[in-house]
Amino acid sequence: MKILRIPVAMALLAFVAACVTINVYFPAEAAEKAADRIIRDVYGEPAQQPAPAEPQSLNRYLTAPSASPVLALLDWLVSPAHAGADISVNTPAIRQLEAAMEKRHQQLAKYYTDGAVGMTQDGLITIRDQKLVALQDRNTVKSLVASENRDRDALYAEIAKANSHPEWEADIREIFARRWVDNAPSGWWYQTGQGGWKQK
Amino acid sequence: MSVPGRRVLLALLCLPGLLLVEVLPCLAITTTTLQLGTLQGDGWHAEDLQLQLNLLDDSHAGILLQARKARLPEPLGELTDLQLECASADLTAVRLECPDGVLQLQSDQYGKQQIQARFGYRFKDKQLTFNLAGIHLLEGRLALRGELAAGKWQLDVEADRLSLPQLSTRLVTAGLALPQLEGGGELALTAHLQGRAAALEQAGFRLHLRADSFTDAAGSLAGEELDVTVTGDAHAAAGGWRVNLEASAGRGRLYVEPLFIEVPEQAIQASARLDYQVDSRQLILHSLEYRHPGSVVLAANGRIDLGSGPLLRDLQVELQEGRFAALYGTYLRPWFAGTMIGDLDTAGGLTGELHWQAGELGRVKLDLADLSLQDREGRFDLTGLSGRLRWSAGGTTEVSDLHWQGGSVYRVELGRADLRVETTGSKARLVEPARIQVLDGELQLDTFNLDIGDAAALRWQVDGILTPVSMRQLSLALGWPEFAGKLSGVIPAVRYDDGHLSVGGVLLVRVFDGVITLNDVSLERPFGVIPRLQLDARIKNIDLESLTGTFSFGRIEGRLDGRIDDLAMESWRPVAFDAVIATPAGDRSRHRISQRAVENISSIGGGGVGGVLSRSFLRFFKDFPYDRLGISCRLENGICEMGGVAPAPEVGGYYLVKGRLLPHLDVIGYADRVDWESLVAQITAVIKQQTAVSE
Repeated sequence: MKILRIPVAMALLAFVAACVTINVYFPAEAAEKAADRIIRDVYGEPAQQPAPAEPQSLNRYLTAPSASPVLALLDWLVSPAHAGADISVNTPAIRQLEAAMEKRHQQLAKYYTDGAVGMTQDGLITIRDQKLVALQDRNTVKSLVASENRDRDALYAEIAKANSHPEWEADIREIFARRWVDNAPSGWWYQTGQGGWKQK
Repeated sequence: MSVPGRRVLLALLCLPGLLLVEVLPCLAITTTTLQLGTLQGDGWHAEDLQLQLNLLDDSHAGILLQARKARLPEPLGELTDLQLECASADLTAVRLECPDGVLQLQSDQYGKQQIQARFGYRFKDKQLTFNLAGIHLLEGRLALRGELAAGKWQLDVEADRLSLPQLSTRLVTAGLALPQLEGGGELALTAHLQGRAAALEQAGFRLHLRADSFTDAAGSLAGEELDVTVTGDAHAAAGGWRVNLEASAGRGRLYVEPLFIEVPEQAIQASARLDYQVDSRQLILHSLEYRHPGSVVLAANGRIDLGSGPLLRDLQVELQEGRFAALYGTYLRPWFAGTMIGDLDTAGGLTGELHWQAGELGRVKLDLADLSLQDREGRFDLTGLSGRLRWSAGGTTEVSDLHWQGGSVYRVELGRADLRVETTGSKARLVEPARIQVLDGELQLDTFNLDIGDAAALRWQVDGILTPVSMRQLSLALGWPEFAGKLSGVIPAVRYDDGHLSVGGVLLVRVFDGVITLNDVSLERPFGVIPRLQLDARIKNIDLESLTGTFSFGRIEGRLDGRIDDLAMESWRPVAFDAVIATPAGDRSRHRISQRAVENISSIGGGGVGGVLSRSFLRFFKDFPYDRLGISCRLENGICEMGGVAPAPEVGGYYLVKGRLLPHLDVIGYADRVDWESLVAQITAVIKQQTAVSE
């Protein structure tokens, strides 16, 4: 009897462990799609076709366990609304942020184009060269940038929270940082890894 | 006058002056060349100095003074190939006078110069006069006129069209901590300096800046179409200087990060009368006045420490006139970008006094006159805000009075209010209870305590009573579906601590003959990006007949009890809860449900009776008796997990309405996971449709 119990217990343990493990995988591909949808809404026009996502981002999150038979079983057990491969961005808070950013973008767009405002590596924006902004508009632009960043910070946290994984915030921010740039029209400026500026 | 300034003067004086004094006794020979070699004095020297005198007649002589190289005090620096030539100087026993001399030199800083030099020397009292014109300086012209006699001297400076960017470059190179400017801008300067030996005794000047557009490299200091005049005078006084300054900006726009100042139709003016004590580096401000027409008039006096102590050693600032819209827009708003008070529409007036002592704000007296503050994001507004704000640092207690005519918080209207507040250091409390009208009810504040403590966390606490507020108005204001009933409550402790507001006690909604109690109400970041409301609710004995009557949902008779646990709302929209409402156990009221109500419930819940009613014999019955009815919903991630009063396992659903007797009718729900947004949309649509029908 005892001999039999151990494998059963171990199988159960493996199952439980797998349950825990699968929840921490960050659904990078789904997050990227969600980010693209939000970003295109904010940019307000069908921006150019974004560059395909770098394959490494997927491999980073989906490693060997995805091939295990346990996953198949879980997929079947867990209804689609909760499956790990999806990411939800449909909450009142996220929609409110998106609407606010979309509205603000109409004021900001000019400054992206001028090069006065650029995209940072942490998914925010910053004033790149305020000399390109008329004197009387400098404080308005500063205020727009501050509000935009406040909303972006909130957006990343909200998406993580809406998916019951507050710890995903950093991953979501990283994906957004890349997708803001990828979806941007050419001519806009973004910060590079070395802290310098590059024009798309 | 600054030390470099005195050096310039010395250098200018020593060139023609000192040399002539020494060589005049040799005048008896027709043409004389003197090789003087190297001469030097305090802070200067000249190499390969040579003087050539050519006597033309009894009273005229040609003079040529040359030096291969000279080093003079800064900012003159090193000069080479110097030559002072006077073709025909008047030379008598009384005086030497050169009306049309030419001074040529080469400077690494000022380039090649050819200067008209008129100079004269009176032998009796050793009076030297000179007039140097056409000096090229910073792309402009400089003229100097001076007089030196018996140790006393005076100098007139006239400079025109000096380039502002060039000047800034020169000053930065000289090691002054000033911004390097680019763009365009011209300065004109006239000055009169007077002194004795190496000391400046008094000076007066007028500086005129005209600039189309200039900026520093970062764009944090910039000006456009500026026209600024500064006049001033300074007199040496015991231990320092007595200074008067007056500045006036006639037009233009100036950006000094983060302030943007646009000169209105009337000039912006500033004037100051001050003493500067050299040893202690103290600025004693007898008076300072700043006048920005249409915005602010400030007066200040006090003592500013440029030495080691706190800068504002003792400063009294009087805000004599403050038009709040302009004052806020120009001088306050830029400091609050991105905060709650960073984007307001304002009006009204503000006057008062601020007092700094030992670098710390020590006393505030502000008088508010009919201010209005309106958040552009629509979160709050206050109108007719008047009163007096008084505050002192340390243990002194002060009393402030504030009142406003009206306002709103998230479109919930507030009526007028009078507050009397006592402040002691970082703490404030309500001296006497206050009443604030909230929609058609009233919030009675018995106590209010505020603690700013360490500026990081704001804390306050309120005890009060909320007299009945109509839920209809509240729900309209918050953009909810219209609710009926009255909200009221005793709120023994509303606490706010670093962005978190919690309501102690219980809020009560009396509605439809029943009671809804709200417990553990808390609000996260009420004015943040996403305000988050949390509460638990208990629903007791709601009369369904009046409920369904209000919502035009089809008549139902009976009672309802229920609970909503862990209700979480973000931006005033529900995002999570666990709710059950159902006929109370043992309820003895009459239980009837109308055909229309049944149809409506079915159309929402994906129930199984749909068109059946209208097609079967049941259509002949207006209403049906029921045993129990109810619904449950657990909302999470936008999905509502639904249930009814009991499971209906035989058909894989749940009973929304469980029939009783005849004609027997059950309503069964099948959808167990419903998208919350579509559910709300469906309910709203049904209610709208029914309202349209009943109208």
